[in-house]
Amino acid sequence: MIPSSVTRATVRVTAALGMAVAALGATGAPAVAAPQPMGRCTTSSGAVLAVDFSHWGGPVLRSCGTTPATGYELLNQGGWRTTGTGHDGPAFICRIGYGGYQGGRQYPTAGEDDCVLTPPASAYWSYWHADPGAHDWEYSQLGAMLYKPKPGSVDLWIFGGTDIKGTEGRPRITPDQLRAHNTRPQGDAGRPASTAKAPSLPPDIDTGPAPGGQPKSDPEKTGRKPTREPEKRTARPGKSASPQQSTSPSHSTSPSPSASDTAAPATTPGTSPRVVDAAPASDTAHDSGSLRPVAAGASLIAVVGGAAVYVARRRRRSE
Amino acid sequence: MTAVRRAAVEATPSPSRQAPDGDGRRLPRALHPLAWWIWALALATAVSRTANPLLLFLVLAVLGYVVTARRTEAPWARGFQYYLYMALTVVTIRVVFRAVFATGITPRDHFLFSLPHIPTPDWYAGIRIGGPVSLEAILSAATDGLRLACMLCCIGAANTLANPKRALRVLPGALYELGVAVTVAISVAPQLVQSVQRVSRARRLRAGRNRGFAALRGIVVPVLEDALERSLRLAAAMDSRGYGRAGTATRRSRRLTGALMLLGMCGLCAGAYGLLDATAPRVLGLPAMTAGAVLCVTGLRVGGRRVTRTTYRPDPWKLPEWAVAGSGVLSAVLLFTGLGYDAAELNPSIYPLTWPSLPLVPTAAILLAGAAGFLSPPPTAPTAPRPAQRRTQKADVT
Repeated sequence: MIPSSVTRATVRVTAALGMAVAALGATGAPAVAAPQPMGRCTTSSGAVLAVDFSHWGGPVLRSCGTTPATGYELLNQGGWRTTGTGHDGPAFICRIGYGGYQGGRQYPTAGEDDCVLTPPASAYWSYWHADPGAHDWEYSQLGAMLYKPKPGSVDLWIFGGTDIKGTEGRPRITPDQLRAHNTRPQGDAGRPASTAKAPSLPPDIDTGPAPGGQPKSDPEKTGRKPTREPEKRTARPGKSASPQQSTSPSHSTSPSPSASDTAAPATTPGTSPRVVDAAPASDTAHDSGSLRPVAAGASLIAVVGGAAVYVARRRRRSE
Repeated sequence: MTAVRRAAVEATPSPSRQAPDGDGRRLPRALHPLAWWIWALALATAVSRTANPLLLFLVLAVLGYVVTARRTEAPWARGFQYYLYMALTVVTIRVVFRAVFATGITPRDHFLFSLPHIPTPDWYAGIRIGGPVSLEAILSAATDGLRLACMLCCIGAANTLANPKRALRVLPGALYELGVAVTVAISVAPQLVQSVQRVSRARRLRAGRNRGFAALRGIVVPVLEDALERSLRLAAAMDSRGYGRAGTATRRSRRLTGALMLLGMCGLCAGAYGLLDATAPRVLGLPAMTAGAVLCVTGLRVGGRRVTRTTYRPDPWKLPEWAVAGSGVLSAVLLFTGLGYDAAELNPSIYPLTWPSLPLVPTAAILLAGAAGFLSPPPTAPTAPRPAQRRTQKADVT
């Protein structure tokens, strides 16, 4: 009887420990923040993310995200994707790509920087903040994973060189050109009022990759244009298609990723600092490779290792 | 005791012994130590290029094969397993540190388990202690550690395969004092191990206590006495061979040597700084490096003039030496030029997780380095006096 009670007690203790660990894991795991259409960002809520692709002849893309998030989460949602370096891990932003721009291609490309070691200070993505009301940029003193943007602030990533204090290589664009000027969520310039109603419903769940958007994508496909519209709307405000977009409620922002691979924002021409809104897009598909090279490599290693064992045996026998 | 010492001296195989090989193919001889060092350092350089676990494990297998096929029976040639343990330690430390000081957690990670999280104040924000541990973090730490471990094992293989005492002959004459010090230093550890083993065997035979603190005194005192005796003997032997002579250098030539070396070292430092820092002026890079190297070589030449040395048993540099060194260098060149494969394949992505690929050219390059296992001549056969040596030792201690 005693042993069984002991085992029961140990089982209970282990279970409790396991639950504690699980609870820790649940609280410790970072929550995914929600990407939002640009119109949801206001002067006092949401954070604007802007990435300057002008180094590769592209526009300044900007999008919006909910605020209790780190700069890294803001930069890794709604079709945005970054790559770290082999040396520093994902916390160092080496490449940035957006699902709706050049098919999700990440810049700088592998030919420009292999992202194995920390990139030089002369060519890297520098990180700038502008708090609400600020007229100038502030060079980030924290990494993207540690900095938490304030509501109504702007995060800007530009590619180039800076010095350590951030006095050189400052952005040429001003915070006012990027920041959200509407005081209420629906008050975006090119945005019809109807879209603002729905975002209050469930933007955080629906904006995830495919599942939320799938059922809606069928009606979208019949009229492919609206899916492109939300991305172009700042560049060409008052487009005729905007009412059509309003017919499909805000959920349509999440299906828009399905068509965003057409790279609509990039095609809009404009003046030198082109600012193009990037709607939440789906993640670009990730190819995890095949197992065949691993099997081939493992067998090759086994062959060479076997040769070593054989030689060792023969030597031992001859001794 | 004298018989033991003589036996210990004989136990180091003489490289010039040329007994016919068992297979009757090639005459066994020791490869030039410099060839092994070039081979191993080149392979380590090649390893530094890649974080592909398949290639790294292949390098380890190749090292294991070459070492088992071509190591001698000398005391320094039995240490490869310790390098493997060290490699394992390196990987473990890396993984543990990465798990505890978890930096860079992304929402897309695959979380494995969670460590208790210790909150840190804001001014300490860069470091996070504990918290969730992801598969990606573990894997990236493990591959990074594995690369370092592979480089360690390359150096270990060179230490195992090359005779360190003969390698020191390659040192320029001006540095011969340094060479002497290093030779003495590297002979100390195997000799200490030998004398500890001998003394503890003697205690066992006398049914003395072999463990515990009391036994320690009984072992340490004879070992220290042995070491003292040995170093006195070594000093006498070196003195009789003319080591430690002040030489015939004049005051002027000594000063010239010192000035040349100092300037040369400054040049090398400035050159390395200029080459590594992208913002440094161009003049500081390659020209300073070259000037420094030239000054250093001149300094060594001038300093070496006063030391005249003769060679008793020259190490030949023949075809096998060229083949071994060449195979190592060629593999490093293939991994650095990136010909015929995508350089991204050398560093498979961990964020997001991807199965590593097996690029053809680097794989062939590493296998080519492994060809050193049969390009080099077989090692000298296990020396005959080994069983006899055991007998004398036993006879001596009883």
